[in-house]
Amino acid sequence: MAEINFYYLEKPTLSNLKRIFNSGDIPFIRLSKFLDPVPIGSKPKFNRKEKIGYYNRQEGSAILDDFWKSSEFIQFLEATTGLKPKFREANHICYSAGDYSLLHAEESESRRLTVTYDFTKSWKQEWGGYDLYTSPENNPLICNRDPGSLMAVKLEEKDLSCTRYVSQKAVSMAQVDRIIYDLD
Amino acid sequence: MRNVDKLPRIKSQPFPHVVVKNFLDPPTLDLAIDALAGLEYDFKESDLFSYWASIDLTDINHPAINILRDDLGGEIWRKKVAESFKVKQLSSIDMAAYVYGLGDFLLPHDDQVEGRIIAYSLHLTPEITEKMGGSLNIFKANDAGKSKLVDSIIPEYNSLIMFEVSDSSWHQVSEIMQDIQRLTVTGWYHG
Repeated sequence: MAEINFYYLEKPTLSNLKRIFNSGDIPFIRLSKFLDPVPIGSKPKFNRKEKIGYYNRQEGSAILDDFWKSSEFIQFLEATTGLKPKFREANHICYSAGDYSLLHAEESESRRLTVTYDFTKSWKQEWGGYDLYTSPENNPLICNRDPGSLMAVKLEEKDLSCTRYVSQKAVSMAQVDRIIYDLD
Repeated sequence: MRNVDKLPRIKSQPFPHVVVKNFLDPPTLDLAIDALAGLEYDFKESDLFSYWASIDLTDINHPAINILRDDLGGEIWRKKVAESFKVKQLSSIDMAAYVYGLGDFLLPHDDQVEGRIIAYSLHLTPEITEKMGGSLNIFKANDAGKSKLVDSIIPEYNSLIMFEVSDSSWHQVSEIMQDIQRLTVTGWYHG
């Protein structure tokens, strides 16, 4: 079973991560090689989900569904963000050539902590497929694909996120577990 | 000057659209392309699109652009467009030029903004083929938002594509796959 890499659990590291998280205009932390060992995960059963003009992608159950709900992980999020996240949903999402999501798909969202664990196997930046986070009055946050990394982003009511269009030239898929935690 | 006096038959499915081939006469075409080549284009990018856009050409005073604007938006032609599409009177057009290069795209959208009745794009890239990308893809979508690609129009040189803007006019510009410059003059006829 995958566990959080030990060096992210040391007290001084947790304290530093909390400081870093709360220093950004859009609060976030990005942790490479987050899990040890890197989970392989069985291939989930996908369904194509499309709402034209909003998103077109494949979705299934999160590969690490139990882990994202576990008290161990939620306590880690509390320690690194200073927030009290409440688990809402977890999905495994795949973007292959031609897939996309658009920012306005999240227009009716509430305050939330979005966590993304990157299962992408190999990726070229020119294929797009990066995650984009926007917040009124702030510069957008761009998160390129980085296999094995975990990204946690605090988004307010009017903040939005999406995954950029994947080029028809892409020969692999951008795939992530995406977990939403509600914030009071 | 326009090379054509009337529109071909409007295709009704999945939403009213038409392709007018050989729209401008050769001297006007050359003048227009020369003028457009002399403009500056800014790179524009969002979650929805990636392309290079000129300044708004609706009101600028330039001899060749004035002719082009009159050919696309003059009173007689506007009347023919309105009659062919069976829409109310068209009062004006707006206009800008766009260049799509390698990797650029415009994802599915319906163009709906208040006042837009008919969308148009005049295509000015010689010898463009399907493999190069940049086709105008036309979709039919059901109420749940699931779409089906119904038509893929290769933007032939000197062709004018028009369609009626509505909540079903889903379309996109497919990604440019080769190192070309897909040049168009694009805008809308307003009510």
